[in-house]
Amino acid sequence: MSMALFSSPPLHFPALSSSKHHTTHKLYPSLTFNKPHLSFLVSPKAIDNGSGGTTSGGVAVEKEDKAEAGGVKVEESNEASLGSNGSSPPVVVASAGAPMTEGVKMFQDSRWVGGTWDLKQFQKDGVTHWDSVIDAEVRRRKWLEDNPESSSNEEPVLFDTSIIPWWAWMKRFHLPEAELLNGRAAMVGFFMAYFVDSLTGVGLVDQMGNFFCKTLLFVAVAGVLLIRKNEDIETLKKLVEESTFYDKQWQASWQDENSSSSKDS
Amino acid sequence: MAATQTYLADLHPLRCLPTPLKIQNPQNQCHYFKQKSTNPVICKLKAAVIGGGPAGSSAAEALAAGGIETYLFERSPATAKPCGGAIPLCMLDEFSIPLHLIDRRVTQMRIVSPSNLVVDFGKTLKPHEFIAMLRREVLDSFLRQRAESSGATLLKALVTNLVVPTSSREPYLIHYIMDNCRRQLAVDVVIGADGANSRVAKSIKAGNYSTAIAFQERIKLPEDKMGYYENLAEMYVGNDVSPDFYAWVFPKCDHVAVGTGTVCSKADIKSLQRGIRARVRSKIEGGKVIKVEAHPIPEHPRPIRVRGRIALVGDAAGYVTKCSGEGIYFAAKSGRICGEAIVKASEGGEKIINEDDLKREYLRKWDDKYFTTFKFLDVLQKVFYGNNAAREALVELCGDEYVQRMTFDSYLYKKLASGNRWEDAKMVMNTISSLVRCNIMGREVEASAQKILSRV
Repeated sequence: MSMALFSSPPLHFPALSSSKHHTTHKLYPSLTFNKPHLSFLVSPKAIDNGSGGTTSGGVAVEKEDKAEAGGVKVEESNEASLGSNGSSPPVVVASAGAPMTEGVKMFQDSRWVGGTWDLKQFQKDGVTHWDSVIDAEVRRRKWLEDNPESSSNEEPVLFDTSIIPWWAWMKRFHLPEAELLNGRAAMVGFFMAYFVDSLTGVGLVDQMGNFFCKTLLFVAVAGVLLIRKNEDIETLKKLVEESTFYDKQWQASWQDENSSSSKDS
Repeated sequence: MAATQTYLADLHPLRCLPTPLKIQNPQNQCHYFKQKSTNPVICKLKAAVIGGGPAGSSAAEALAAGGIETYLFERSPATAKPCGGAIPLCMLDEFSIPLHLIDRRVTQMRIVSPSNLVVDFGKTLKPHEFIAMLRREVLDSFLRQRAESSGATLLKALVTNLVVPTSSREPYLIHYIMDNCRRQLAVDVVIGADGANSRVAKSIKAGNYSTAIAFQERIKLPEDKMGYYENLAEMYVGNDVSPDFYAWVFPKCDHVAVGTGTVCSKADIKSLQRGIRARVRSKIEGGKVIKVEAHPIPEHPRPIRVRGRIALVGDAAGYVTKCSGEGIYFAAKSGRICGEAIVKASEGGEKIINEDDLKREYLRKWDDKYFTTFKFLDVLQKVFYGNNAAREALVELCGDEYVQRMTFDSYLYKKLASGNRWEDAKMVMNTISSLVRCNIMGREVEASAQKILSRV
């Protein structure tokens, strides 16, 4: 199938497969770290490494769905090494048994029909249950991150998140967080109002009329909105720095004017 | 030196006047001299452009057309540079590029998200609009030839060193190797257009920039598969193909270039390339790899772009946009602006220029004209290329016709497209909502990954 593609740069494979041994071993320790984004970067590479014809057992990993993909890549490389015409079905060792159709495992789900979710299958009491649509899509995207699929013209993907109505998102994600934040703001607000009242004797209504108190209120609301976890403070600082970084790189040519005038002719 | 002084005094009794003189024989090879910084020079300005790509050729053409004695150095005129080879419509007009040089007119762009959602860009293009794909060697040699016919002297030579004198009144000395002999040339002005690994930049200690690496394989496809790419180019985004850039399939004269790029994961470029090949698998089956090439792409301008009477243009200066990685048009345009700046400041080669002239006429003009474009693309790259969730949002947004029209107009004409306020507002709302939705999805995906990892 893609034999010509793999065999034409003959220099590539021998060089690559020797280095792959090292990289596969290097990748495993990092998988045990509990950093999800790292695992996503790592997992596609682990799979790609398998295609060089190295240990198929080595690729079969902790994650259960990766094992299937590991089997896929092994049989592709077997095809390449056999030098077959590519049309023969794979002869392999699939470790976690799902039957290979054309040698590539695509995302399969009974509700994923024709490149999009069949909303009729998500019905609950006659109404589409959007939460399960969201869950299904999350599962599909996670599967694809681990096993990137080749895009095909025959089976295009037609689903995008705008199909799910805005109120479904609100109900599921915005409202709980809003409840949390409002709760925090209310607690902080009550305590601060009591504290200021006990210190200065100014009641709540009079506090609202004071400019300083209004500023404090604004700061409190902004703080609750922007700083939800401890890490957010660092994130915000980095954001400010990052957004001006590119400007600084461009302005660097002009800084020279002030520092050195000796080069002027 | 005294002899020349008296000789010239006899010839030009009006030498001491502050106004510049017109010289009858511009081929004067003598060392120029001047008493005060505003005095006219006796011989014409000599300029060297190092590097004969689009930037160098445009600079040499502008200089020569302005009457300045120009020398264009190019070490290997026939090499095919690893490059996408796409140029916008405005370049065809502004640089009068003949249409027969164009290999392909791309009228459709396909962008594919990590979950393989495909969006077709190009419905809004008018019949005369397209992205021109050319072979770099064809374009470069055309521009070089035009520079030569404007009066520049083309030297097929490798520049080995550029000596910057200690005194600002002495010329720059270029050491070069031509036909296996070492030679030298003394010039007044140097334009460094020698690309990402610029030697001129090293000589003036211009500072470094961070680079992305672009890696591509040219693959010759069977007839039927090639038909699919007749005038279609594809862009793929996803962590499997590039963690901070995109991967592409661009059609060239009779083959396609499949490649990817990255800034932060240069060591993994080979596995990223395998990733893009896997994503395009069915469309390039049966193809044969005919060439593999890679090149660094600057990510931002160098800290110093002008020093003394030396200016950097094109890739040497770092004028490559983020997000799309476009550099050919900006290289040619910066070369032209720099050449014209020198012509204007030296009044056709009569006066010597200084660093302030270059900064005022070239850097200031360039920054004022293009900084917003570059900044905007930088913001786009930061927002949309960071993670898979943002990339999904990007592809979703690109489905909108207004977005497509604005994108193409800005790309093809390099001008902020005139939009409708209401549509702009809608676009902003859509952007925010797409980003929110896709980021929510992204967070859920990560959360479920956490659950699986913790289970294991």
